[in-house]
Formats: sequence, structure tokens, C-alpha cells
Amino acid sequence: MKTNLKKISLAQIKPNHKGRVVEILGGTNLQDRLMNMGVYKGKEITKLSHIGLRGPVVIKSGRSILALGHGVAAKVILEQE
Amino acid sequence: MIKRIYLIGNPNVGKSVVFSRFTGVQVIASNYPGTTVEVSKGYLLLGDEKIEVLDLPGTYSLEPTSNAEKVAVSLLQEYPKDEIVVVNILDSTNLERNLLLTLQLIGQGLPVIVCLNMCDDAGHRGVDIDIQKLEKILNVPVIPTCAVTGVGIKLLIERIREASPVSRKKLPPEELWKEIGMIIGQVQRLEHRHHSFREMLEDASVRPLTGLIIAAGVIYTSFKIVRFVGEAIISKVTDPIFINIFQPALEKLTVNWQEKGFWFHLLIGDLINGKIDFKQSLGVLTTAPYIEFGMVLPYVISFYFILSLLEDLGYLPRLAILLDNVLHRLGLHGYAIIPVLLGFGCNVPGILSTRVLESKRERFIACTIISIGVPCVPLQAMIFGLLGKFGGFYVGGVYLVLFSLILVLGIILNQTLTGYSPEFLLEIPPYRFPPLQMLGQKLYFRIKGFLIEAVPVVLIGVALINILIYFNLFSIVTGMFAPIVQNLFGLPKEAIVALVIGFLRKDVAVGMLMPLGLSAKQLFIAATLLAISFPCVATFIVLWKELGLKNLIKSTLIMIAISIAVGTLLNFAILH
Repeated sequence: MKTNLKKISLAQIKPNHKGRVVEILGGTNLQDRLMNMGVYKGKEITKLSHIGLRGPVVIKSGRSILALGHGVAAKVILEQE
Repeated sequence: MIKRIYLIGNPNVGKSVVFSRFTGVQVIASNYPGTTVEVSKGYLLLGDEKIEVLDLPGTYSLEPTSNAEKVAVSLLQEYPKDEIVVVNILDSTNLERNLLLTLQLIGQGLPVIVCLNMCDDAGHRGVDIDIQKLEKILNVPVIPTCAVTGVGIKLLIERIREASPVSRKKLPPEELWKEIGMIIGQVQRLEHRHHSFREMLEDASVRPLTGLIIAAGVIYTSFKIVRFVGEAIISKVTDPIFINIFQPALEKLTVNWQEKGFWFHLLIGDLINGKIDFKQSLGVLTTAPYIEFGMVLPYVISFYFILSLLEDLGYLPRLAILLDNVLHRLGLHGYAIIPVLLGFGCNVPGILSTRVLESKRERFIACTIISIGVPCVPLQAMIFGLLGKFGGFYVGGVYLVLFSLILVLGIILNQTLTGYSPEFLLEIPPYRFPPLQMLGQKLYFRIKGFLIEAVPVVLIGVALINILIYFNLFSIVTGMFAPIVQNLFGLPKEAIVALVIGFLRKDVAVGMLMPLGLSAKQLFIAATLLAISFPCVATFIVLWKELGLKNLIKSTLIMIAISIAVGTLLNFAILH
């Protein structure tokens, strides 16, 4: 089972792909903010788009559409099948 | 005994609309998170008791992670729990995310009543919520509402007294999310639907290629509509009134007045070829009302019409995503586009809304950029009115100079200021179509605000200028600054009066240039300088309040240096 899963950051995953959050790097403030907006360990999110090379990433989490700066997206680690 | 009612909820769930419904106090409501940066206060008549109502800034959680959230949470603790009612407003199209705050509020032992707002929109999107079941699970009153149309508000007010504390364990957010997952499973049913046209548009506007095409289209169309509507009001409404009704009336009134007398000079000003010329006479009853009502007001109406529409549709956060890359180079993030756009209407609300940016560094950069490089609508209207007759080249030139300044200044500030600018993390609201009545109310509110603020200042300003000119007092100031203005900027020394008046109001300042008979190049330089140099006194005061004295001085010094540099540069660059 486990061998099929690979870890990838939200900045790297391709648009229109899903993944489950396994880790959020960075300070507790970022973790708390994401937690309050409904992005936390174990949550499945879909990347909708990525603007430009180092631009923001747009995701769908539950019924919310969120935009994350590139730096934030790089800190959200997903598990993808 | 209820002493205070709090309206609390996630950002962009319609708290301000509910607030207006409760208190009759009009506040600006838009479709983006962070519209409310100040706490509004009003009163609700409950039976025959008048109870204070506070509209708190949006917050996702009672464990605050931003300044606005801290404000909201600390205000909640001002009164004992048995003297307050907390009206928790939720967006029913996104129940899951909203419930975190609800469970935290209930867990704190606060008396909570839940207002399930935007119920109509939830229906359109195929979201069905079992309200009775939700009420049972939460153990507090739950009332579905649609605040923009007023549905459910009466019932909500009637049931406010039912709010009382219930016992619920305090849990950390991870546990709460698990619980919310279970609640959602029980009360929410999603109808499976094909993507509607609206959802396709929502999607397309956040993708790189289609997003840019849509953005270009929206900006171009907005600009065209602002010009078209503004010009139409001037040529079809205001100009006919001024020329066919007001001018003959004034001429009749003053037919026996002595032309060189003090009062004639003050109220009518100079006659141009024996007639009143609204653009050049400079009287309190001639040029002053013409500037405000005949040149500026039409554009204020058309600008705020478009801005309000874009705000309520929910387009602005999408523009913020697309511009994030560029704004990053200036030490800002995409969301800074909102204060900048508001600043194009009037710098004061623009600077106030820099509160949506978190760090002091970002706010300093944004405030400085707005006060230097973003001309307000009154100033822009006057620039169009004055420079327009020399062709679009000069008008475009002013914008080009200002735009380059914003870029250069932002890059330099970003490189030199210490600290770093945080990245953005933003919720993108769905598109919503505001009822026309709401849009009309907002437009009326903004125009009224403009008139109340502008008209007295303009009348007093023009009167003051006329008195100073009549008694020849300006010559002292003009004598002092004449060398700079004449030698460096290539402007006649009378233009100093206009530059000084710019501190009072920018539109009057440009108006002061009208009778001077400047060449296109001189007008271009003077108009650009007016845009860059000192913001008007109202903006100055807000800057002081928001930045503190030290940063205000820093910002002002940057402004003076840039004004002198740009004025000189333009003068010599265009000559040779």
C-alpha cells in the first residue's frame, strides 16, 4: 500500500490533482491560520491552478476556494497516490 | 438584561449587511474578505430597549492569528457573559468552514444565536441544510436568513432573547474539525449538479491564461464605462444645467454689482470677455460649484458605480491572485490591489483599508505608494477635463509617469526596508450578483459621503484663495518658492498658488491652473506634480493616524524628494 504514495509539495503538484495533507512546514502561526481556514493534516485538497512560475496557488478545500502565496504552498506537503 | 449584541462570523459572510438591517446604519459591504477594518457600532430597538450592536471584523477562529481577529476576540470579553448576545453569522454555502467558530463560541459558554445567511445562494448551489437537526445538535437557535433581501431578519431579532449559554466541552481545533465532519454528514445534503455557467466563470478567472484574458477585459471595459458614463452625465445633465439655468440666473442676480468690488470678486470672480466663465472666473458661486458638480461629481458617480459592482460581484480577490507576482516585487502581496483600487476613488479609504495587510512594512509601502502614485477620482476628473483637450497623449503621460513611479518606488522600498513581507493566504469568494437596490444604496452612500466632505472644503477653499489674492497676500509665498518652480519645473510663479492649494483639495488645485493659460507641457508637469506631491489634508491626517508620526515624516520626505526630482526631470526631458 504505502509504496504507491509519494510526498509532494503543493507548489509542485500539478493543477487538477488531489492530495492529502500530511505535513505543514513552517511556524505554528502558519499552521494555525491554515487550520482555522480548514486546511489541516489529513484533509484532502485539490489544486486548481498555479499562476506563473513562482506565483500563488489556488486550491479547493471542502467548499472553500483558497489562494496561497507560492512560499506558503511550498510548505504544504501532500501525499499523492 | 442584554447590554450588547455582537455580530461575529468568518470574513465575507455578510455581517455588515446584517448590521445595516439591525441598526439602520449604512456601512460599506462588499464581496471580499476584510471589507470591514473598523468596528462599527449601532443600536437595535428590542421591544422598547435600545441595545448596542457591534459589527466585528471577520474572524475564522477564537484563537486569533491576525490583528483584526485579535480585535474581535478582545472586544468579546468587554462585558460579562450574561449581559451579551453573540449573533454568529454563517455562510450557508460553506457550512463546514464556518462551524469551527460556532463550536468555539458555544464552547466558551457564550450565549449564541446562529444566523445561517445566504440561504438563497445555498439553494442555487444545491446545498440543502436540515435546520432543525442542526439546531438540535448545536443546542442553540438557528435561523436561516438572506440579509441582502431581508428575509429572516425579523425572526432573527425576535429570537435574540432565546440565546443562552449551553454546556459544551472546549476542544482543540483538530478535534473540532472531526466533530464538524460528523455534523456536516448529518445535516448537509449536496445535490450533485453539473457546473453552472457561474462556476465555470469562477474557475476560469483563477487560471493563468483565461484569468489574464478576463482581467484585461474587465479592466478595459471598466475604464471605458467610467469615461462613457462620466462624459454622458457632463454633456447631458450637468453642463446644460450650469450653462442654461445657473449662468443666466447668476447674471441676472449680479447685473447691478460693481465688477471690481470685493463681493463680486469673491462670489463671481473675473469675467472672461464680459461673461461668466465657469472654468476661469474662480468665484465661490461660479468655478467652485462647477469644479465639484460639473467636473468631478459625474466621474465620482461613474467610478463608484463600477467599483461597487466589481466589489459586490467578488471579482477583486481574483484580480489580487493574478497580480500577486508583480506586487511581490514591490514588497506587497496580491491583496494590496484592494487598497490601491479604493485609493483611486479617494486616498482616505484606500489608506484605511491597508489594514488588510498584516505587517507594518507592507502597510508603509502601500500607504506611501497610494499617497504618491495613486490619484483620486476628483484629481483624475480634473486632469481629464483640463489635459483632455490637448489629446490623450498627455493624459496617458500622467498615468505612465505615476505608474513608473509606483514600480520604481516599490522596488526601492522593498530592497531597502528591513523586515520581510508575509505571503498571502486568502479565501476567494464565489461570484454573487447583488440586488440592484443594494448596489444603489451603496453608491448613494458613497456619493453622499463625497459631497459632505468635498463641498464645504471647496467653497471655503475658493473663498480663502480669493481673499488672499484680493489682498495680495499670496505674493509672499510665491516670492519664496518662485526660483524652484520657475527654474526647475518651468512653470509660471502663479502656479505655486495651485501647488499650495493642493494640500487642501486636489480638484480645486487643478482648477486654479485653469485661468493661467499654461501650455500643454506646463499643464502636464503641474498636473503630475499635484498628483505626486503632498496628499490633501484629509489623507495626511489618516496617514498620520495609520503610520505614526515617525513614518509619516519618512513618507513625506520621500514625497518631497520625488516631487522635486520628477518635476525637474520632466521639465528638462521634454524641452530638449
